[in-house]
Amino acid sequence: MSARARILDRIRAAAAPGDRQATVAAWMAAPGGGPLPHQATSHGAQRLTQFMQKLDAAAATVGRVSALAELPKALAHELRKRKLPARIRFGDDPVFAGLDWGTIGTSRGPGRIEEPATLSRAEFGLAETGTLVLASGPDNPVTLTFLGETHFVLLREADLCGGFEDFWTAWRERGLDPRTLNMVTGPSRSADVGQVLQLGAHGPVALHVFLLS
Amino acid sequence: MSLHEATTPAFRANARAALDNANLQAALRGSRGNFITKRARAREDLPEFDALRDRARDIKDHVLAHLDLYLEAYEAQVIASGGHVHWAETAEEARAIVLDLCRQAGAKAVNKGKTMISEECGINDFLAENGIAPVETDLGEYIIQLRGEVPSHIIAPAVHVTVPEIEAAFRKAHTHLDPDRDLSDLAALQAEARGVLREKYFQAEVGITGANMLIAETGHSVIVTNEGNGDLTQSLPRMHIVMASLEKIVPTLEDAATILRILGRSATGQEMSVYTTFSRGPRRPGDPDGPEEYHVVLLDNGRSNMLATPFQDMLRCIRCGACMNHCPVYQAVGGHAYGWVYPGPMGAVLTPSLIGVEQGGQLPNASSFCGRCEEVCPVRIPLPGMMRSWREREFEKRLTPAAMRRGLGLWAFAARRPRLYRIAARLGAGLLSRLGSKTGRIASLPFARGWTGERDLPAPQRGGTFMDRWKAARR
Repeated sequence: MSARARILDRIRAAAAPGDRQATVAAWMAAPGGGPLPHQATSHGAQRLTQFMQKLDAAAATVGRVSALAELPKALAHELRKRKLPARIRFGDDPVFAGLDWGTIGTSRGPGRIEEPATLSRAEFGLAETGTLVLASGPDNPVTLTFLGETHFVLLREADLCGGFEDFWTAWRERGLDPRTLNMVTGPSRSADVGQVLQLGAHGPVALHVFLLS
Repeated sequence: MSLHEATTPAFRANARAALDNANLQAALRGSRGNFITKRARAREDLPEFDALRDRARDIKDHVLAHLDLYLEAYEAQVIASGGHVHWAETAEEARAIVLDLCRQAGAKAVNKGKTMISEECGINDFLAENGIAPVETDLGEYIIQLRGEVPSHIIAPAVHVTVPEIEAAFRKAHTHLDPDRDLSDLAALQAEARGVLREKYFQAEVGITGANMLIAETGHSVIVTNEGNGDLTQSLPRMHIVMASLEKIVPTLEDAATILRILGRSATGQEMSVYTTFSRGPRRPGDPDGPEEYHVVLLDNGRSNMLATPFQDMLRCIRCGACMNHCPVYQAVGGHAYGWVYPGPMGAVLTPSLIGVEQGGQLPNASSFCGRCEEVCPVRIPLPGMMRSWREREFEKRLTPAAMRRGLGLWAFAARRPRLYRIAARLGAGLLSRLGSKTGRIASLPFARGWTGERDLPAPQRGGTFMDRWKAARR
């Protein structure tokens, strides 16, 4: 008898009688049902304001971009402001491929051991907590999220959700199946040295969001 | 002796040594209160917090009542996504599975994200004995690995280490760096660890992480971190191994959200930790990064035996650490005194369940029964009640020291005879109040030096025992 069979047998021996299959099927068929926090229910302009406030609370920064064609200019401005080299690395996302990057040197592919700045596109944002949702793949390699000293992320305002509830619904509808779904809330941090919180543990030291209206 | 061997039976001696350890006491003083304040603020900011705790408790209870079905559903999803599930009844089996996988991957070095299950299995020592170098990548775990220690806290593993001790450990280990470098500030220490570990991320053939949750609906494993180390650990090597225990299952993505809403707030006071990552299977065709193989090792190690016992509720635990952050005993002696993987109130209940009351029976005695652990537990585990159950079992199995057994026996004899109890109480209270009549305190008392050696015993009030006064008042 396998370890699997022995473990499952022990669990079944401890289970209460009843139609357990039906109970599980009912639970899975109607996901949710927990309390809905007020902070997960924002709409419209208030949603946008809350998202930006939450980003700030998570030590991320945010700027608005009125059109996709404006992104290179906005990025160049941020790189200059942060005294970073005029270079960016991103994946094969067609959204980025079609842009004129001007003076910014671009490279494509996954993260490398030293990378001053990387750019990804988020699938969704959550106003509830100021969280970005990224899906790994050739368009947006997962390591770009963790190996850039400064990580820039593009998010369409239309993809901003109130909270987990409408996000999961939208996620299922979009039908993606990436190896990882990465929720990112601010730049990396640790308090393991002397119990004092410091930004830039293993991931980015800074996170900047371009909100595209 | 390997690091994961339990020193739980030596709890009393461990605790005494911890109280006398000036460095440890300084580190504990430095962290004390931080976690408590942050959690309290996070709770205030979310009016639905307590309702979410109730919901989380109900989700976990539902899972435990249907655990076999959810495990099967989860396994089917992992396989459908191209991953593999390995079942381990014991720590030994889990070790063998992990070693076998590492050998298949041709691993010389294995990176590790934070996983308490791997501590439970003693993976690091075992891999090292077999010629594979384990590298802890969580900053706190890295610090204690350099010092040859185990975690003293489930989410802040190096909370017992002072800053000068960290500097000393780095200077000793990082001999390739300039010996005259300046490590006088915290940022320099963090930057040095970041630089050293960044290289190691690219060298390992296997990355091992834990899982905060496993989702039955989708086959995702979920990790929650602030540093990003768990993500580099699983994304850069060619094989990702997840080590998780059975009870980490939740049914749906929505249920995972409920747990996430209380986990960060209870642990560090964060609404969301920085990185919450849902992983499913290996890299997809065309993906330029991510592991080529994805394996999940499901560990039982005694948990299935806790089902349908008074200790089943312990399996609701989501490992936030709030109970130890709020525990006066943990805050006085730190985590190492507990002598095995899990410290604090959750460890005091879980340890005897997993390694036996003979080994872990002393830990449930390390409680003042103040009840704060139960008050803050996000999944409402009745920790003090379960500690009481363990004490009863310890007594029944005659594992309690003889003097304590005699004392408890004597008390039980009197407590079952109300008249005798009242006479004894009246005599005792009268004698003590006379002894302390001048100051209201008793500085030294034979048979109670365990108390009076450190502090005065308050003398009982004059005017009789509680029962005497109760009767007088009713008249």
